[in-house]
Amino acid sequence: MLVRAVLAGDPAAFALLVDRHAPACLRFASRMLGNLEDAEDVTQEAFVRAHRALARYDEQMRFRTWVMSILANRCRTALLHRHRRTSRVVIDGAAVDEAVGPETGDAELRDAIERALARLEPPQREAFVLKHVEMLNYDEMSAITGAGVSALKMRVRRACDRLQVLLREDGYE
Amino acid sequence: MSEQREDEELTGPLGRATRLLQDEPSPRAEWREAVLQAAERPAVRPLGWRVRPAVAIAACAACLITGAAITYGVLRDRMGSGARDVVASENGSVRQGQLPVRFAVEAPGAVHVSIVGDFNGWNPVGLPMHRLSDGRTWEVEVGLAPGRYAYAFVVDGRLSRDSSAPESGTDDFGVPNSVVLVGGS
Repeated sequence: MLVRAVLAGDPAAFALLVDRHAPACLRFASRMLGNLEDAEDVTQEAFVRAHRALARYDEQMRFRTWVMSILANRCRTALLHRHRRTSRVVIDGAAVDEAVGPETGDAELRDAIERALARLEPPQREAFVLKHVEMLNYDEMSAITGAGVSALKMRVRRACDRLQVLLREDGYE
Repeated sequence: MSEQREDEELTGPLGRATRLLQDEPSPRAEWREAVLQAAERPAVRPLGWRVRPAVAIAACAACLITGAAITYGVLRDRMGSGARDVVASENGSVRQGQLPVRFAVEAPGAVHVSIVGDFNGWNPVGLPMHRLSDGRTWEVEVGLAPGRYAYAFVVDGRLSRDSSAPESGTDDFGVPNSVVLVGGS
């Protein structure tokens, strides 16, 4: 197992863990924070913290769930600091174009959903992204967020309802 | 909400939009390298102070409470704030459930002597003492309910402990206090 290999002193094993889980972590963080630059910062922090705490990793849990729980904490902290400075929505235009290609309709829709996501309360955004973007089940979400399953279901439902309203206001019926 | 609805795949504009959010960004090579280097670096504590907001608030609260406690103690001991419950009978009279306790101090040449303590809120003017005919002894009788009381004399504005009584070991903030034990029935 990769974690055991890292603990045994194999640096290449940690690189493999990063390669395997970084894309999903960057996706989660960028959906939470609204831009890739901040997402890279918190994801790096999360991996470094995970590396230092690897001896405490419980193999009963999937590594992805464990590192996501660290990452979710880093995102919450980043949002807290950002909230103190100013609220902002940053759309990474180049990344959007690269990700969605030439279909203008998708680019606009992506723009709209990112703006709508940014308007959700962070706990609702977190629950929605974990459920419908990361496609995790509620037990994994509970392990990551520390919230109960019932609360998470409610957050996801409210997030969906709110996002639908916001998309409708943007002309997406 | 039904379980089916909870796990239902999103449809309509929200479903389409959510699928766009599922695109995974490709980590930049420089970023990957930075992560691996940072992970290998030994953990060092930052030189500067970094305090979490909750910790800062707790520390401020602790400072305020400590400061208030010290201020309260000093005021109580030096001036008598009346903040503590007064359990002594005023003017030295004895009420039901109280026992008469006579306090005396030798203070030749003093002009004004009073007693302060747990029983009168450390109020320096609450319980004046009376000079006896010998001209040097001051005394007062106070009605006290059974208990333990720290006290001191105020001789012309200066606190003085009762040399004939045990010294209070606590809560004195540097002020010499004595202690009296009043027995129950």
